[in-house]
Amino acid sequence: MDEEGVREWFCREVLPLEGLLLRFIRRNWPVADDAVDIAHDVYERVIGAARSGIPHNPRQYLLTVARNQLINRAKRARIVSFDLVADLETVSIDVDLFETERRLHARDALRRVQAGIDKLSPRIREIVLLRKIEGLDVRETSERLGIGRDAVNHQLAMGMKALADHMLGGAGKIVRRRYAGRRSNGDEA
Amino acid sequence: MSRARAARDAAAEWLIARDQDGWSADDQAALDAWLDQSDMNKAAFWRLEHSWKEADRIGALRPATPPVRQESGGSTRKWWPIALPLAASIALALGLGVPGVLPVGSPRSAPAPAVAVTKVGGHRLIGLADGSKVELNTDTRLRTLVDRGLRSVWLDQGEAFFEVAHRDGQPFVVHAGPREVTVLGTKFSVRREGGKVTVSVLEGRVRVDDVEPGGSARSTIITAGDIALSEGTATLVTTGSKERVGDVLSWRQGMLSFDQEQLSRIAAEFNRYNNKKIVIEDPEAANIRIGGTFPAFKPGAFARLLRDAYGLEIEETPDAVKITR
Repeated sequence: MDEEGVREWFCREVLPLEGLLLRFIRRNWPVADDAVDIAHDVYERVIGAARSGIPHNPRQYLLTVARNQLINRAKRARIVSFDLVADLETVSIDVDLFETERRLHARDALRRVQAGIDKLSPRIREIVLLRKIEGLDVRETSERLGIGRDAVNHQLAMGMKALADHMLGGAGKIVRRRYAGRRSNGDEA
Repeated sequence: MSRARAARDAAAEWLIARDQDGWSADDQAALDAWLDQSDMNKAAFWRLEHSWKEADRIGALRPATPPVRQESGGSTRKWWPIALPLAASIALALGLGVPGVLPVGSPRSAPAPAVAVTKVGGHRLIGLADGSKVELNTDTRLRTLVDRGLRSVWLDQGEAFFEVAHRDGQPFVVHAGPREVTVLGTKFSVRREGGKVTVSVLEGRVRVDDVEPGGSARSTIITAGDIALSEGTATLVTTGSKERVGDVLSWRQGMLSFDQEQLSRIAAEFNRYNNKKIVIEDPEAANIRIGGTFPAFKPGAFARLLRDAYGLEIEETPDAVKITR
């Protein structure tokens, strides 16, 4: 698998599962703040492994890697009890529950972008839209808004990162609450 | 800061820097080196690049009537109106979309647009006064006007490929019915079938605006490898395949290229170029998917290929090739 192929596979098959991955980590790991770091450790491994072969079932594979990662972490971290490690070893990687997830993602892609942009703070939203709708670069944006380029750079970077979190479905509390609601009343989506 | 967060921050900086004018080969080499440092860097960069690119879809998202309301908790939508002045000016410039109306602001004695036409099967290359080139596909009619600061083309029907000479401060605008394509320096094609407009970009960047009177402000920027399909109030952007754009543009070589498309669609495509029409009488045959590159002006040869390869029966008359089962 060449590098371009790995990148393409990662974006197409793995990234849409980010929401699922983060929920899996949060359910099975006591420290919520670690979730982003653990997810990136999983990505790193998955990318490395993809060079020698692409797994048939990315969902199953991703969660398996995540579970192993959690077990390794639990064994390394002394503050975590042995109970957790034992629990992790019996965590079932039941993917059927999430079978519809990715299709939903594709269908809702447009709505997610919109929702993601809605959630940005007004200033950052404005800067993102100047870029995306009017095609202004950093210099032009800084002239239009009368603020320094460093400020534009900084806010654009924040906007990019926040949008990625929102769109990939891993944006902390809001997304988790919504997800819990969806599960409890069947298939709202 | 954790490794993952550091990688995310760095990825955002790279992505912004790459987007600016003046990104050099050296800069690219530095980025490549950073990516090669670890798969963590790659994961962070690919992830951000992917979702940032996905966010280009916002142009297609503007609600039909932009809600104008104060921010009062709940969902905040006050960002939509940002693009409104843009749309308003476009609607004005287009004379509310009536084809052929000269833009407001040009002098009354403005020269009339030059008309260029091709018949079914025709193919024609024209040069404009500013050095830009326009290649007309089959059954196409367009009008061009290059005058002082203004460069405008009206695509009344059909399809054309544009190679636009870069001129600072002189936008090049293609009016295609309900859509307006503003060139930000590039090679691209526009195809119009009534209200349906397809824009495919081979190089550079263009902006597609919805200029339907009374409609909303929709604006989408697409870059090389992207195809924007517009119909009614919807705009769909498919991203990132130079090959597909290459397929769409194969008519420039007198060939038609398909990637596993339905025979019914392929027949419709052939019929754009030929007076001898392909008619599919068997509904099952219409759904067969076929890929490949074929000479655009030989529908008979294509049909015989179908007979030999798929066992379909064909019946050839002077003005049609019928495909029965």
